[in-house]
Amino acid sequence: MNINNWIDGLNISGKPDEWEMKELFRLYNIFTPKGELIKYDDQFKDTNLQNPLVVKVCDPEILHKTDIGGVKLNISDNIEFVVSEMKSMFPGSNILIEEMVPYSGIEFIIGALVDPDFGSALMVGAGGILTELYKDVKFRLAPISKAEAIRMLKELTVADILQGYRGSQMNITSLAELIVSVGDLVNDLGQNFSQLDMNPVVFYEGNWVALDGMAILK
Amino acid sequence: MNITEELKPLFYPDSVALIGASGNPAKVGNRILKVLQKTVKNLYPVHPVDKEVLGLPVINRIEDLPDNISLAVITIAATPAVKAVRLCAEKGIKIIVIVSGGFGEVGGEGSDLEDELREIQKKYGTRMLGPNSLGIFLPETGLDTIFVEHGDKALSGGGGIAFITQSGSVGTEALGLASNAGYGMRAFVGLGNKVDLTETDFLEYFAKDSATNCLAFYSESIDDGKIFLERAKEASKKKAVVILKAGRTEAGQTAVSSHTGKLAGSDNVVNGAFRQYGIQRAYDEEEICDASKSLSMLKIPKGNKVAVISAAGGYGVMCTDYIEQKDSRIKLHLAEFSNETSERLKKINLPFASSKNPVDITASADDEIYVDTLDAVLRDSGVDIVICLTFFTIPAVTKDLVKKISEKAFEYDKPVITFAQYGPFTYKYLKEFYDSGVVGFSSVYRTVRAARFLVERADILKTFGEDNEY
Repeated sequence: MNINNWIDGLNISGKPDEWEMKELFRLYNIFTPKGELIKYDDQFKDTNLQNPLVVKVCDPEILHKTDIGGVKLNISDNIEFVVSEMKSMFPGSNILIEEMVPYSGIEFIIGALVDPDFGSALMVGAGGILTELYKDVKFRLAPISKAEAIRMLKELTVADILQGYRGSQMNITSLAELIVSVGDLVNDLGQNFSQLDMNPVVFYEGNWVALDGMAILK
Repeated sequence: MNITEELKPLFYPDSVALIGASGNPAKVGNRILKVLQKTVKNLYPVHPVDKEVLGLPVINRIEDLPDNISLAVITIAATPAVKAVRLCAEKGIKIIVIVSGGFGEVGGEGSDLEDELREIQKKYGTRMLGPNSLGIFLPETGLDTIFVEHGDKALSGGGGIAFITQSGSVGTEALGLASNAGYGMRAFVGLGNKVDLTETDFLEYFAKDSATNCLAFYSESIDDGKIFLERAKEASKKKAVVILKAGRTEAGQTAVSSHTGKLAGSDNVVNGAFRQYGIQRAYDEEEICDASKSLSMLKIPKGNKVAVISAAGGYGVMCTDYIEQKDSRIKLHLAEFSNETSERLKKINLPFASSKNPVDITASADDEIYVDTLDAVLRDSGVDIVICLTFFTIPAVTKDLVKKISEKAFEYDKPVITFAQYGPFTYKYLKEFYDSGVVGFSSVYRTVRAARFLVERADILKTFGEDNEY
């Protein structure tokens, strides 16, 4: 698959869902949790995924799924029940089940948008559901060099956490590389691109992992 | 043709035609004529009926102008101005400055007139500055088309700053203000409505101009944003580029549903982009003048360690607070002196003075103590920048201190920034500092901020080096 197949193959044109976003991320060698998609009309039987699991509603029309009960975390048994419950809460929506990533440490956000004067821009900062409260984010234009991505990270208030603050092992270089990849991705989307959030991005077992993502295409 | 060749008739015209020359002192065409008269040898006032204006013979029709005129300046109302532009273009005049207003800035019919100017530009290839432009001011030759007060006498000494402004009044008011304490201007360019020549053209021109060492812009909108940034980055490798970007636009997303879209806010993208492309940002007319003056005149420091010398304890403390204060532009730190420096300072100063940073030389100081202290801290390898707070109210301090500080500052390869406050004489002293090559400010805050511009510039130059490492 390449990016053009990906754009053409979207379920709803211009509105990728989380599963499709993660397919896109993997095209750019970005780590995502191991997962499976259950179509709304599929009968869920069993999964080979390792517990504990996460169950999420996977629908591009639902943007803030946490707020409306569309995310269930840390499920180690009765997965069938949780899935059927989610299905009845969101009839007609697909369901995503994933292996839970037991990360510790803070969450980041990587984003992109199109600025009317300067074109595609990238953002990085303190992520998670409180990202708009922290407002600890920095912008650059895409594409971006690794050196520039590192400088951008060093401007953040939370920058020290990437440089060993209180024994933190988070790797600044590989996070910078991830920003460069998002820049490439945005560049490849070209005229189709409008907005993207990769949030949260967490550090687990030596890798940065994108736990969720959304994008709006033109 | 390259931009240096192309803009030569604008800055160094062999001959100038003034369309709208007038004997009426209330008219713009009168004020401009009076100024041009002093510096332009081949000046051709054009007026439809007058035979003579300010003692110069008048040409009644543009068609009757001699051939090969370098530059035309047009001051008449918008509709006839467009007709005049067409005639000038047909005549083969290379560059036209359209001072006239009543174009895109008023909308409607004015915008249509602007479209007409664009058509003429395309058809004849004549370059145009404006409309609604104040034109240019070049202290080097005295060429000046600005019809409002702009500190032109005070700025006539010239300098290294090219000041390019989209708004005429912001430009002239800023310069008026800056000229009080001295400001070294290479050129002033009023862009106006930018039907043809834009900030990018002048960026390129002054980047190549060997007499320019700093580029300052006031911009509300930047045409071809990405191209401008790329050229600015190239320019910034050699000269500081400072922009006062006003008119903060929304991210312009149709539906801002992403966190990124919301966090982009008014102009976070501009901030990031400027940093990425080696551009320093200013937020008001005073800051752009302070930044460009400092970057044009002062040496770029190797680090961010600041030494402070003050004859008034309170000012030293205030200065220290500003230095250590968190700032989004760049970090500064108070320098720690070596033992050798502390010993030196003890010998120079009176027993009750402080030999630590900030150095309080007390109100018992004289010129010699000031200068010896300055020498001692400049010598310290742990000091990158010196801020010298001068007080001419002190009994033993004389007016010669200005010259002495200047001489000492030039002995070392480090920036020395001064501060002076002396009631109504403040600007007199700051101007004297300027005239002897030293940058000074009238507030502690602005003095420390100037140090930040320099360290930020050093950081930009460092990042240009880093980009090749990965």
